[in-house]
Amino acid sequence: MISPAITSTRPRAAWTAALPVIAAGALIAYGLTSSGYIATVLGFAAIYGVFCTGLNFFMGYTGQASFGQNAFAALGGYGSAILTDRLGLEPVLAILASMSIAGIVALVVGYPTLRLRGHYLAMATFALGLITYEITIEWTSLTHGYMGYSGIPPLGLFGYELANEKQQLVALVVIALFGVWISNRLRNSRFGRALRAIAGSEAAAAALGINVARYKLAAFVIAALYASVAGSLFAHFIGFISPEVFGTAMVVLSFTMLYLGGIGTTWGPLVGALIASLIPEVLRSTLPGGLKEGQDIVYCAILILILIFVPKGLSSLGSLWQARRSAVREG
Amino acid sequence: MLDATQILQSLVNGMGVGLIYGLVGIGFCVIYNASGIVNFAQGVFVMLGGMFTHTLLTRLGIPIILAAAIAIPLVAAAGVVVEFLIVRPMWNRGATLFAIILATLATQIMIERITILTLGDQPRTLNEFTAGGPLRIGGLAISYQIFWILGCGALLVGLLWLFFGRTRTGRALRACSQNREAAALLGVPVGRMLMIAFALSAALGAVAGILVTPTQYTAFNVGTPFGVYGFIAAIIGGFGSAGGALAGGILLGIFQALAIVTLGAGFKNVAALSMLLVVLLVFPNGLFAGLKGLLAGRSRSADAR
Repeated sequence: MISPAITSTRPRAAWTAALPVIAAGALIAYGLTSSGYIATVLGFAAIYGVFCTGLNFFMGYTGQASFGQNAFAALGGYGSAILTDRLGLEPVLAILASMSIAGIVALVVGYPTLRLRGHYLAMATFALGLITYEITIEWTSLTHGYMGYSGIPPLGLFGYELANEKQQLVALVVIALFGVWISNRLRNSRFGRALRAIAGSEAAAAALGINVARYKLAAFVIAALYASVAGSLFAHFIGFISPEVFGTAMVVLSFTMLYLGGIGTTWGPLVGALIASLIPEVLRSTLPGGLKEGQDIVYCAILILILIFVPKGLSSLGSLWQARRSAVREG
Repeated sequence: MLDATQILQSLVNGMGVGLIYGLVGIGFCVIYNASGIVNFAQGVFVMLGGMFTHTLLTRLGIPIILAAAIAIPLVAAAGVVVEFLIVRPMWNRGATLFAIILATLATQIMIERITILTLGDQPRTLNEFTAGGPLRIGGLAISYQIFWILGCGALLVGLLWLFFGRTRTGRALRACSQNREAAALLGVPVGRMLMIAFALSAALGAVAGILVTPTQYTAFNVGTPFGVYGFIAAIIGGFGSAGGALAGGILLGIFQALAIVTLGAGFKNVAALSMLLVVLLVFPNGLFAGLKGLLAGRSRSADAR
């Protein structure tokens, strides 16, 4: 079968395409009508949604593993902070510049690293995150070390700034939807099908003429670009970043979101990010001790439970049910 | 620039801390050999060893040897709990390697956070086991604790050697590492071996943590660096060989000590992680196997990955 299309040519049923947009619209409306705090929580969810959508390219579609995507989020965040603060660059330009830096770094680092497999790949990517963490702490003249970087300007374009959380929330949700749209278009394209073939079997994919190493690298770079954007958006949204923001806890949190929403699905990462962001708000009154610690414990526990009992993510529960139903119908 | 004393000093210090890395690395190998699982929560046992000993020491006021003797089985029990609650269910369900690694990573963060909530986030340290020192030889200053580390380390390696060579359980563990199916057919309870492997490797981590705490400090977050250094030690040694992990740890410790002297303390982790990447990319079968291959005139690194 020859498929010249770069992006997906498959027409979608109109109502399923409209559904997420309606859901997003409802969310924005909820965020706009309630307190600024809720808007901040939803903004976080959108940012993590971007990050997880990128991670999904590499882990979900391609079936690889990277435990160090936080490195690229840190690059994006610090890139944005330094470029806007030191050079007075427009936030949007700073985001694009950080993206290109992250992309180049991912290309250079990924080329040798992605030849590794199994626990070697896991540790090598984990080390990427740790090295970046160390550098952001040690290179104090550039990053302000442990103290973190504050006073980062909010999102804006040509001198016009998005003044409050609610305006920013709209921008973040639009960006997240755009990210998911790209992911959706690429998923069924020639490129996306190649990635999924690699996830199925590298040997079989290679036998079909797919350049496995190059496609893996492309997925890794895309994931890094998404991570960089997420890091930048975080910096502009909150106005403050520190090494701890992009630490190991971020890795586990993003995996929790990915598995909650369904790994390898288009909308899963965004949905998972939303659910995971709302969990601490629901549990706020019952969490023991310090909120931050209790929150991390809950995320870790959820992740471990999912990994044990529903390793394909919660969304697989639905397809399990569907498969059973269709089996009943046929039998 | 560096003089001979400085180099000797870093060799001595590097040996001490390197032996600790080696012990953690052996912990990785014990679990990996018994099950093919890589436990990313290995460093947590090092942290728990130091923290438990410190807590027992300050709350109960018992001698340090007694506190250590209580802490080590406690940490081993923690290892068994991790195995029983998290690793075993996944193993029985045939989870992928990445899923298990991710679960152990989540376990590490969970245990760290629980430690913050129960024991606090302040760094703490233990007194050196023998007061006084450092011992001065010429320009060298050797802290007494290094002798404790070297002595206990050597003792432990000897005991491990006896355990794996002479005891029934140790031999069964080695049988598992060679071929799990065949071992199971010969009546080795493979599931129980996994539990023993976790207990043993947690105990090794705890000993490492107790020995190293007097020379630096312990806090909820020391686990990750020790885990990573132990992993690097295991990789240098070719992942799976206990002797290789020990040698790799000492090599890493010395390399790190030299990096501290030449580049500054801040670069200690960067140096170690760079060493990891170089070894992974150039000698994926371990430094020693890789060098042997090079000496034999054939680099197997290309196809054996």
